[in-house]
Amino acid sequence: MGEDTDAAPTLNHHGFLPDHNYVTDADIISTVEFNHTGELLATGDKGGRVVIFQREPESKTEPFSQGEYNVYSTFQSHEPEFDYLKSLEIEEKINKIRWLPQQNAAHFLLSTNDKTIKLWKVSERDKRPEGYNLKDEEGRIKDISTVTSLQVPVLKPMDLMVEVTPRRVFANAHTYHINSISVNSDYETYMSADDLRINLWNLDITDRSFNIVDIKPANMEDLTEVITAAEFHPHHCNLFVYSSSKGTLRLCDMREAALCDKHSKLFEEPEDPSARSFFSEIISSVSDVKFSHSGRYLLTRDYLTAKVWDLNMESKPLETYQVHDYLRSKLCSLYENDCIFDKFECAWNGADSVIMTGAYNNFFRMFDRNTKRDVTLEASRESSKPRAVLKPRRVCAAGGKRRKDDISVDSLDFTKKILHTAWHPTENIIAIAATNNLYIFQDKLNSEMH
Amino acid sequence: MECAFEAQNLISISLRKIQSSRTQRGGIKLHKNLLVTYVLRNARQFYMNKNVSQAQRSPPYEDAAAVREKQEYLELMGSFTELADDFYCNFTGAESDSWHCGAHQHNGQLTEVQHQDASSCVLVSPNESDLMLSEACWSCADKSWELPVPNTQANQKTVLDLDTHVVTTVSNGYFHSDCCAQPRQPQGAQCHKKRKMDTSYFIVDPEFYLPDFVPVPFKRMRSDDDSHSDSDQLDNTNISNLISVLGSGGLSEFVSWQQTDLEQIFGTQTICLKHTLFTGSGWTRAIEAF
Repeated sequence: MGEDTDAAPTLNHHGFLPDHNYVTDADIISTVEFNHTGELLATGDKGGRVVIFQREPESKTEPFSQGEYNVYSTFQSHEPEFDYLKSLEIEEKINKIRWLPQQNAAHFLLSTNDKTIKLWKVSERDKRPEGYNLKDEEGRIKDISTVTSLQVPVLKPMDLMVEVTPRRVFANAHTYHINSISVNSDYETYMSADDLRINLWNLDITDRSFNIVDIKPANMEDLTEVITAAEFHPHHCNLFVYSSSKGTLRLCDMREAALCDKHSKLFEEPEDPSARSFFSEIISSVSDVKFSHSGRYLLTRDYLTAKVWDLNMESKPLETYQVHDYLRSKLCSLYENDCIFDKFECAWNGADSVIMTGAYNNFFRMFDRNTKRDVTLEASRESSKPRAVLKPRRVCAAGGKRRKDDISVDSLDFTKKILHTAWHPTENIIAIAATNNLYIFQDKLNSEMH
Repeated sequence: MECAFEAQNLISISLRKIQSSRTQRGGIKLHKNLLVTYVLRNARQFYMNKNVSQAQRSPPYEDAAAVREKQEYLELMGSFTELADDFYCNFTGAESDSWHCGAHQHNGQLTEVQHQDASSCVLVSPNESDLMLSEACWSCADKSWELPVPNTQANQKTVLDLDTHVVTTVSNGYFHSDCCAQPRQPQGAQCHKKRKMDTSYFIVDPEFYLPDFVPVPFKRMRSDDDSHSDSDQLDNTNISNLISVLGSGGLSEFVSWQQTDLEQIFGTQTICLKHTLFTGSGWTRAIEAF
């Protein structure tokens, strides 16, 4: 599992000054996503920028440098906008990035802020033509009388240049804040979800989209829940799931009706009445939902737990993992400082045997579904020297028996939260976004998935 | 469950969150505000249940309980009124010193204002610039009005009287009572005016208001919650009524504010306040609602 994880070098992201604790708001990473092969890793931040990392090809001569991720390209995806009609500023923060499956030499990704989705083409240029007849090397037109013979321009190698160009802009389709995008397995369509609606797009058509889910009530006073996340099934192009703030999941089949307001399956766990508190609704709100790679299971995250659901069992989750149950008694102060609204994401490993999610104090947790073992690790500069093995951490109750290296609940730093994590699709490599830093960890001992 | 003080604390924190969400960058977050209203509802339910159980106690204890209730209530009102002030000024963008807060005093003291029996529904049409229409069920007895300094500016605000459970709107320097005392229109005409029973909450985006108006939020009071007319229970139900103003899950105001639901604004010619029937003594305390 992940206990003996070697740490690949920490990659700093956007100018964090090591001597200061000052963090620019714009540098805070807001999304992390591997592409389908794991060769590329994209991050988006609050400033609307996207940084793409590329894995270095493995080298036999330097085994330890294999698999490192280096910056491949950086570009400004979204800018702040102002909606004059509604007197609203639209944040440039990148909410989600999703890669398209690669179909040619270029890579494509979708990035979205609250209102607009953009399709970007990432391509390489490492050759350029030389030997034009009418132009000289600097591009000036030659005097035609000096041209005595014809030559065929040839492609000569040049320094690698990565070009990122916007290919499509999908705008003006969402009244509310977009929280999710998901590419369909048909590679032709994708969906975007906001608080109340889900739209289906064709990747080539930007001027219209189909609304497939609309939970806006006729009278807004009757609003009781919002959509929090949505994802297409990895294999069945007609199926998708969306989660709600009430803790329910709805599996919808697009073949049943044009408007998928009626779900095919509703996944809901009955609330435990003895656990009722002022904050029951908040902590049951699902912040992320992910299909397993197999498509058989769903992984959801709410404030205190992560749950694995079997698509064939709607009545309750298959497994429930307590991420940080010690926070249950602190919900009131977490409500006051707004931490209770933090939206943690979750991730599967390639084999669907381990799930991972973030927590506070720069901790993140992994749960092995087979062995039922779990581990808490920390992403921090102090504990992550290159090649160092991450040490498991433990959080103990306040005043409880403390072992060395344990940390008390009261000492947790709630400003250091790991909301975004990603797992390489086939190998044991994980990307952890800790505020404005990106950590990439590799399990060298167990590189193969099992 | 947490104690009553924590419930009150949560209520004031929640209101502050709702207030600050209006000015945050990127617009109001529907999801977060929905969750905050759930906390408000839960706190309110807890508070109501607690008060109901206290009211059922035997008489010897009533005084002490009532006194404590009143104190807690006043504390809470203090924080509410602060919030309402801050909120309201923020909301309209007006300078705080340009507002006079109706019957509310900053130190939370009670303002004695005579009040009429009323079930008033205030009909305000953004298209008719300065008309205040009321479904004149005011029994216009000739009680003298000790009105606090009316707001002399061309603006409106909504005032919720927690004792009387009446939501009233001050417009263009006139309290609604003026309409009865010196009606702009004949009383009869007012009575016949149809009130649109659209009970949605609206906050109209400032952009869409005519120059005569400044944007004002209107709240609907849920009649099912306001069925108490027994003055003994007024204290107990005041918190609940304030919260009922927000409504359990009533978020159309946020949504309207956030995204200016054009169909709601243009489709509705008038903005309506629903109210409750009151049989009470007079204005004692009032709080500016959102």
